[in-house]
Amino acid sequence: MRNVITTLKIGDIMIMILLLLISFTPLAIFTWQQAQVDGEKLIAVISLENEVTHEINLSEHEGHELFDIVTHDHEINTIELSDGRIQIKSATCNDQVCVRTGFINRAGQTIICLPHQLVIEIQNVGDEHIVDDQVDIISS
Amino acid sequence: MTKNQRLVYIALLAAQAVIISLIERSIPSPFFFMPGAKIGLANIITCIALYTLSVKDAGKVVLIRIILATLLGGTLSTFIYSSAGALLSFLSMLAVKKLHILPISLIGVSMAGAVFHNVGQLLVASWIAQTPAVMLYLPVQSIIGIMTGFAIGITANYLLKHVDRLHYYTFLRST
Repeated sequence: MRNVITTLKIGDIMIMILLLLISFTPLAIFTWQQAQVDGEKLIAVISLENEVTHEINLSEHEGHELFDIVTHDHEINTIELSDGRIQIKSATCNDQVCVRTGFINRAGQTIICLPHQLVIEIQNVGDEHIVDDQVDIISS
Repeated sequence: MTKNQRLVYIALLAAQAVIISLIERSIPSPFFFMPGAKIGLANIITCIALYTLSVKDAGKVVLIRIILATLLGGTLSTFIYSSAGALLSFLSMLAVKKLHILPISLIGVSMAGAVFHNVGQLLVASWIAQTPAVMLYLPVQSIIGIMTGFAIGITANYLLKHVDRLHYYTFLRST
């Protein structure tokens, strides 16, 4: 243990602190941006291969819903909506990162399934922005 | 070091790095909650290369490692991820090493390398997913990176101190 302490120098601690600061900057910028928006109205934006496919109003969502999103390669992600929260319930991707993320319900949270290029992002749009409520989930 | 010695040494380091990254790929990640996070054992070799070879030659070691590791069981997307990570991590390690304001040991260099490897990968991920929100994973990744970087730094430090040849090359490099 003494060996470790003698090799650890003051500069290392500074580097460690600096690295921590750097890693929290994206979070800080994001929270600052969110603070600029008045009111709270959360929408979940689901995009597949860089195209927005669904915009779901989470603030006014109630109840329980399940629907599938199918990619061009016939891969399936099952999305679950439950009282203003959203999660990917199951997916056919190999790493299952998206499934393990679980439910998200706050602005700025994301679920990403990189193999399918599927991104679910919760945005706070404030009071003025109007979203078509419950975009045709059922018909799709 | 003669030219031949140097060439053999570069080849040896690159070969070891490739084998280490292959072995690492076959052991399950200890960070089950954050897939994609790994120990980064191959970074030991990059650290050793940085301290025993010139910048140009250390760069060659990293380049050979990336290309060979991809050919031996990677895909195009893992190549993009690992090359972006490796490039950023190599540059940051170099920058930290050249920083002469404060005394910095290998541990600091290795931590910077680990964290910037994550930065590079997340930048590519946010480019592929076309959303900057991917960068919000950075804090978790960085904390893991700092811990693994710390461990890797101690390991590389130990090797440089106690393997005679490496110790001698470090001495040659610093004179």
